[in-house]
Amino acid sequence: MKPNLEKLGRKQAVRLLEQMIRLRTLEETLMREYHPANEMRCPVHFCLGQEAVPAALSLVVQEGDFVFSHHRSHGYFFAKGAPLGSLVAELYGKKDGSSGGRAGSQDISHSEKRFFSGAILAGATSIGIGTALGMRLQKKPDIVFCGFGEACTEEGAFWEGLNLAASKKLPVVFLCENNRYSTFSDWHARNADVPLLDKIRSFGVEATQEFGNDAAMALAGIQAGARRARAGRGPVFLEFLTYRWCAHVGPEDDSANRYRGKQEMAFWKKNCPIQLLREAMEKRGWTDARLFRALEQKAESEMAGYLRLAQKAPFPRVTSWREMNESPEKVHPEIPDEKKFRPDFDAKQADAFLTSY
Amino acid sequence: MRNKLMPSSPPTNSPMSPSGDSRQITYAEAINEATRQAMALDPQVVVMGQLADTPAGIFGTTTGLAEKFGRQRVMDFQVAEHAMTMAAMGASLTGIRPVVVHQRLDFMIYSLDAIVNWLSLWYFKSDQKSCMPVTIRAVVGKGWGQGPQHAKSLHAWFSHLPGLRVAVPATAFDAKGLLLESIFSQIPTILIEGRSLFSMKDTVPEKPYRISFGKGAFRSRGKDCTLVCLGMMVPLACRVAETLSQQGVSVEVIDLRTISPWDEEMVSDSVRHTGRLAVMDPGWQSFGCSAEIISRISERNHRDLRSAPLRLAFPDSHVPMSQALEDCFYPSEEKIVRHIKDWLA
Repeated sequence: MKPNLEKLGRKQAVRLLEQMIRLRTLEETLMREYHPANEMRCPVHFCLGQEAVPAALSLVVQEGDFVFSHHRSHGYFFAKGAPLGSLVAELYGKKDGSSGGRAGSQDISHSEKRFFSGAILAGATSIGIGTALGMRLQKKPDIVFCGFGEACTEEGAFWEGLNLAASKKLPVVFLCENNRYSTFSDWHARNADVPLLDKIRSFGVEATQEFGNDAAMALAGIQAGARRARAGRGPVFLEFLTYRWCAHVGPEDDSANRYRGKQEMAFWKKNCPIQLLREAMEKRGWTDARLFRALEQKAESEMAGYLRLAQKAPFPRVTSWREMNESPEKVHPEIPDEKKFRPDFDAKQADAFLTSY
Repeated sequence: MRNKLMPSSPPTNSPMSPSGDSRQITYAEAINEATRQAMALDPQVVVMGQLADTPAGIFGTTTGLAEKFGRQRVMDFQVAEHAMTMAAMGASLTGIRPVVVHQRLDFMIYSLDAIVNWLSLWYFKSDQKSCMPVTIRAVVGKGWGQGPQHAKSLHAWFSHLPGLRVAVPATAFDAKGLLLESIFSQIPTILIEGRSLFSMKDTVPEKPYRISFGKGAFRSRGKDCTLVCLGMMVPLACRVAETLSQQGVSVEVIDLRTISPWDEEMVSDSVRHTGRLAVMDPGWQSFGCSAEIISRISERNHRDLRSAPLRLAFPDSHVPMSQALEDCFYPSEEKIVRHIKDWLA
């Protein structure tokens, strides 16, 4: 499958390529450093091989939009334009981490950038649907993107949320990266032979499938979905067929679990999202080995810089466990404290066994 | 006979007469009034609950609100408690202040993931940068055969979680003040309401007011023992104290009003002069709130305690339907009076 660059100008294609290279380089840098240094002491779900969707999203998402992500969060953090230095520092458990070192890779957030993630499948998506409801209630123009894997749709919570989004025509774009496996378990072994899109459409939600390693196709799909959501025409579900190159968690090779064949991996590596776009661009003369290498070098030096800063950054300290868990009290200025009043309570009243339900 | 409710810090002005010229309304009306006032004060306040927009209005607590504020702000909802809670949480990130209502707490259990995995830790996980000011109201049934799936309180479960506040108001006055406090707080709150309290009347100021969390209230003063109670146990504790006072036993009744946090100072000060502590908890005895209260006070006041503390909670059994069994499950006034007298003897 070759990316169709008809509708993509050179400038946008280069941007898309650069974003994928940056994300790939971020992941590779982190993977190299993860072991044996063991200084990033948290579970990390790398998105190597799945760069196309986040890179495409990064070209569509607006500042006011919200992005919610599952545990494989780096791509979405990146897509929302949250500072990558704070992602790297978060993995190191440092104070400068975007969640102050409290959350790590699978739970990372960046509040100012309106990016939130979480490890419990379908949770972040459900919250995102609520955020879209909040936008709707206040007639705000911003929309919500929810990124997740196909196994998220096995959670009951997902369908509750989808039903809500559909019934209220909420401005949500669902980005389902279908990489077939939930850890080592095959989608086909866990689900009846019904196309996912049919299930989604049965809820009254517009749904399409794209080849998720074709960044140009992903971009067109996300652009169309976002347009529809912004126009108030309801939620859109985009399924992207893609593939995870490394283990479910960590940089290790997990082929010892024998859940996927070598040929399958070879097919997907041949369809590397970066190479596919690069080849299509080279055919048009939009890039060459020199430009490609320059983009790689720029990304490498960018990521190396974040790594150095994160390694040197200070660790967080405990202030007070209570302060860390509870926001300071806030009271409404027009509501006085009870002290002003003297209540009177009749204790002789029966707390009746009421004859009602 | 009336038992006066005294705020933790009694006001300096002269007390209102017991009959009072102030207005009396029910617990359900007080909740309705608090919600109405909050919605009038702030257009970001919305109510979400199954049947919240109907004339029945969740036992009267939301009646009339949809007519006044519209169905955008008083939303009926899918029968999907998890989605409802998550929707409220997500909406709160955009500035909305949602009040989620469950007709029975038992249905709310579908939203445990939302509460445990997301709501309670959201502020912590965001490095104190993002708040979810969500209020969850949950009604607990009692009587008329509510049985094992309509009468669980579970306030101890929610109090176990950091990052959440839990209130179990017993009076209309407290229900109003605590709801107003919760709606405008930045901390997510669960309010557990006893269905059997809904028709009870109390003197409730018309104006909005708020009650801080962690502030108990004396329901009676006494010197022989401290009787800590909350929620639907409060009216019972007051009647027990009344009966015992006629028999020459003076009981200090403390209504905690909120359980997370709870007023440790007030209980500790009381035990310092009574030397005895009993806890009446409308929940199961094992691993419950009564154990936590007794444990903390034992650690703190062990020199003051003149006898082993006493737990007066529900038996470790699911709630039965049949009235014959229900009558044995819920402690009666006579049973508690006898228990306390034996304990003091």
